[in-house]
Amino acid sequence: MKVIECSNLTKSYLRKKVLNQLTFSIEENTITGLIGKNGVGKTTLLKILAGYIKQTSGEINVFSEKPFNSLLVSANTIFVDDQMSFPSPLQLHEILQAAGSLYPNWDMTFANRLFHYFSFDPKHYHNRLSKGKTSTFNAIIGLASRAPLTIFDEPTTGMDAAARRDFYRALLKDYLTYPRTIIISSHHLEELENLLEDVLLIKDGNNHLHLPIEELKEQAIGLKGAEETILNWTKDREVYYKNQIGTNTLYAVVRNEFSEQELQLAKENEIEITSVSPSDLCVYLTGETKRGIDDVFIDR
Amino acid sequence: MSLSTVNTSKVVKQQYILKLKANFDAFSSLVWIQLLAILFSLGGVASQGFQSDGMSVSIKYFSADMVIAFTMIWGLVTAITITTKPYRYYDFSFVTNRVTSSLSNILYLCTASVIGGVTAVMAKGLLIIIGYFFLDFQLLDYYSQPFHVRDFLIGNIATVLYIIFICSIGYFIGALAQISKLFIAVIPVLFVGSMLLDGMMGREPIAMKILSFYFQESSFSLFVVKTLISTVLFFAASISILNRMEVRK
Repeated sequence: MKVIECSNLTKSYLRKKVLNQLTFSIEENTITGLIGKNGVGKTTLLKILAGYIKQTSGEINVFSEKPFNSLLVSANTIFVDDQMSFPSPLQLHEILQAAGSLYPNWDMTFANRLFHYFSFDPKHYHNRLSKGKTSTFNAIIGLASRAPLTIFDEPTTGMDAAARRDFYRALLKDYLTYPRTIIISSHHLEELENLLEDVLLIKDGNNHLHLPIEELKEQAIGLKGAEETILNWTKDREVYYKNQIGTNTLYAVVRNEFSEQELQLAKENEIEITSVSPSDLCVYLTGETKRGIDDVFIDR
Repeated sequence: MSLSTVNTSKVVKQQYILKLKANFDAFSSLVWIQLLAILFSLGGVASQGFQSDGMSVSIKYFSADMVIAFTMIWGLVTAITITTKPYRYYDFSFVTNRVTSSLSNILYLCTASVIGGVTAVMAKGLLIIIGYFFLDFQLLDYYSQPFHVRDFLIGNIATVLYIIFICSIGYFIGALAQISKLFIAVIPVLFVGSMLLDGMMGREPIAMKILSFYFQESSFSLFVVKTLISTVLFFAASISILNRMEVRK
């Protein structure tokens, strides 16, 4: 069953199109990573899914309903980010109770165990928490609500390394026991690699790539060797990234369409073949220029 | 994971309970506002006196109307406050849609109005007690007696209705202000401006006509009908405005 179906989704603010003819669908009980550079419309997309904002044009269906103003979608969806706000007079334990009274699948025991593990004080107030603690608390709400569609937008903002690791582990463990559809947007793809099943890569408000992470891992390979040899080898191929190392060495990331024999031949031509991590590949794929930040410093 | 169905009334009820708890501060400010109004009322609203044959009589009139007026302003402010962004966004951290959010707000405002209205009417009793024990009042007429069942009931119902009505206006103004901040300036300007204009042209201000339409109705049942219908219209208009509002954009 498809939980999210979205076709030609466009959202513009004033005259700037943030999402442009975005089309994709997400299957039930999968963990999808939403990847893209800053400002490509990840948060906008997630807020449309959660029914917070309305698209300018196009179709969006969550649980076969339009999410804007749908009580069904709201009851079965949770949107977690660092902007989540709760009534300021409520203490943390009261916020948990409030969430419990409204979310149909809420698991209070689980919430309390996480709450104590991350050593929160029940009598504390949400707006007095530090940045990392706020994210952790919001993540607890997100996990314990067990919403069939759980959306995390940059859930680990401000968390320290240990908290991030714990959060991802808790997420995975709970997902295995209670499978649900999870979407995580994050800049830390390398941390998420082992968690994700699918990757949705957004570029310029559009669906650039949507595929299982296993395929993404094999999508590209890196070739390093003498400039001339590399240029020769990458001719007529899709080159994602090129970088000059020293005077006569070139590193290129190309689409992996080589046969075994070709790779063998490449090695004989003294080309160093490396695999490309998904997070690096995503940076290359979403990069505006082929060279990157170094261009800024040329000819100064 | 299978989908959970929820019904609107259950969500509204839970949101209402949550709002009573979350907006409890409004009630503590109500207490202070009413105490302040009582303090002002202790000065009296009018006085008269006469002297003859070496005897002097002074009559002072006291009224707890100011408490009701202050409570109305409190209702207006409370209603405007809960339409502001932070208050609307709280709901969206949990289960909601725009209609349930407004319905629970309205229920909350009605509760606040009942509490505000009844305490405002009872403030009259407090005023009399303070006057009697501490300021040596001698109660003169029928209206100075603290308690008459029928008056008390009508007084309560009318006051509560007024406050709910004011709340619905506040909620409407708040909703308009969410469309554009311009309304925050436009509404007072229109209100004051029309009064000035009418004053200059030497005719009865339209604002006064509107006020007397509601506030000088002599038939109680007609008053109830007028106020309730207007209240429902204001709330309905607000719901339809807020129903299109994007949150956290």
